[in-house]
Amino acid sequence: MSQELTLEQKLEIIERDGSSKEDVLRILIDLQHADPKGYIDEETAKLVGDKVGLTLTKVYEIMTFYAFLKTKPQAKYVLKICNSSPCHFSGVSGVTDTLKELLGVDIGETTKDNLFAYHFIPCCGACDIGPVIKIKDTVYGDLNKEKIKQLIDDLKQGLRDQ
Amino acid sequence: MKNSEPVLLKRVGKMTDPASVEEYVKLGGFEGIKKAISMDKEEILAEIDTAHVRGRGGAAYPMGRKWIHLYEMDHDTKYIVCNADEGEPGTFKDKVLLDRDPLSVIEGMLIAGYLFRSKQGYIYIRGEYRTIHKVFKKALEQAKAAGYLGKNIMGIEGFNYDINIVSGSGAYVCGENSALLNSIEGKVGRPRVKPPHLAEVGLYGKPTLVNNVESYACVPVILTEGGQTFLNYGTPDGGGTKLISISGHAKNRGVYEVKLGTKLKDILYSEEFGGGTSTGKEIKFVHFGGQSGPIGYLEDCDLEYSYEGLWNNGLAVGSGAIVVMDESVSIVEYLKSVMEFFAHESCGKCTPCRIGTTRAAELLKDFTTGRAKKGDLERLEKMLQHITFLSACGLGQSAAVAFQSALKHGREEFESLIK
Repeated sequence: MSQELTLEQKLEIIERDGSSKEDVLRILIDLQHADPKGYIDEETAKLVGDKVGLTLTKVYEIMTFYAFLKTKPQAKYVLKICNSSPCHFSGVSGVTDTLKELLGVDIGETTKDNLFAYHFIPCCGACDIGPVIKIKDTVYGDLNKEKIKQLIDDLKQGLRDQ
Repeated sequence: MKNSEPVLLKRVGKMTDPASVEEYVKLGGFEGIKKAISMDKEEILAEIDTAHVRGRGGAAYPMGRKWIHLYEMDHDTKYIVCNADEGEPGTFKDKVLLDRDPLSVIEGMLIAGYLFRSKQGYIYIRGEYRTIHKVFKKALEQAKAAGYLGKNIMGIEGFNYDINIVSGSGAYVCGENSALLNSIEGKVGRPRVKPPHLAEVGLYGKPTLVNNVESYACVPVILTEGGQTFLNYGTPDGGGTKLISISGHAKNRGVYEVKLGTKLKDILYSEEFGGGTSTGKEIKFVHFGGQSGPIGYLEDCDLEYSYEGLWNNGLAVGSGAIVVMDESVSIVEYLKSVMEFFAHESCGKCTPCRIGTTRAAELLKDFTTGRAKKGDLERLEKMLQHITFLSACGLGQSAAVAFQSALKHGREEFESLIK
């Protein structure tokens, strides 16, 4: 697993594209995506708050309100499956069945090696290619068993690092 | 589009770099703003009003009325905001404009900036579209470099205007305009109590215009072609063409542009659009305008796809989502899926919405698992009525729309599941 972000790296992300209150969501997502454990720890949240002008409480309120943001460590690859109705009725159960078979864990659980977890998300606007899996900003669509197997294999080999 | 050229999608796919001002201008771009600066401000408003664009995000509020309201506000600071939080499940049409013709949205926002003497515009793009943020940012930079944003725009002394991108982070409720403004301000995205209207008290307490992506993209077209021409693309109760997103069991899933007034049958079945189903089964029902929209059954198929054509039959255009479901889908299962969405997305501010959507989803689950008892359907209807009437924002107020519209045809299916 890659190294935790240094203070300098965090500051670089925070100040890269503006650091006002209006930027807080983008900054938090950027930091979370860059974090090897895929979450925002208290120290980082406080740093963001100091830079954009929000108290730690406000930052925590934001992190618990918006679905993207995580306050606890995540698996290396979190596979998010859209389960809103257009996708739900276009083969989502096949996706979860395949993932369960391939990863050996139920939805919402993390594999023992901490590499994979999968869960449902609401519509991510890719209804024309459902069912879909989203990993960070990348959407994999028109899924079938073979494609999912390929995706998992590729991820295991680090071929599709986000 | 049948027998005619696309209006909103005319540049889509024709540019090698969608963020390029040069290519945009070659294909008719920035003609709208050029026209605008040659007109009186009241004339601009009159054209927008004549075009009769209804809000393309889904609420269908007449854009002209909204603009006139803001214009009448006597205030030095006004904000222009574009709602690009496209979160209605089954809707992915704004994505096409943002990604493949971003300058058309920028031009619409620029015309608004000029008209209202605004210094600052914002576009709030949902977090799910973060890859598009990059394209849009590039388009903004190029527009600025070409003198269409920044200081003394197009050489006009004092025409200073810029646009910032703000990211969403996975909250459907932020598509509600007042929640969206709170989110821009760095707060949690819970809706505000209205009135006051956002044209009076909006972003940072100042008069604010909030329109959808597609609505802004209509503006340069209206000014270039004239309000009357734009109106004529549609029907008297809603002008223009409409971007629709076809998904679900449709054979040809995707984004299309249709003239308002096109036969629904053509949209669902013709090869040019939906092309029937991909499953080989018959269409059973169609969900219009997102999860907050109504459900129609096949007998509604002869209608015309327009605001009044659908409204007069208890249906709606909404965001332009058209989710096609074939006969293998149980309406009860479908509505359970819809209600679970609302339960997940309720922001929790209003108790009837927070608790009601969860209880309604549980009751719907009872129907799908053979645990529904006599009286449960009536209880569900009453509960949904409470959610509708006791919630402050559109999320709770429309959580029951799908259920209520579907029940007209689907009541028997519910009753057959009661023990």
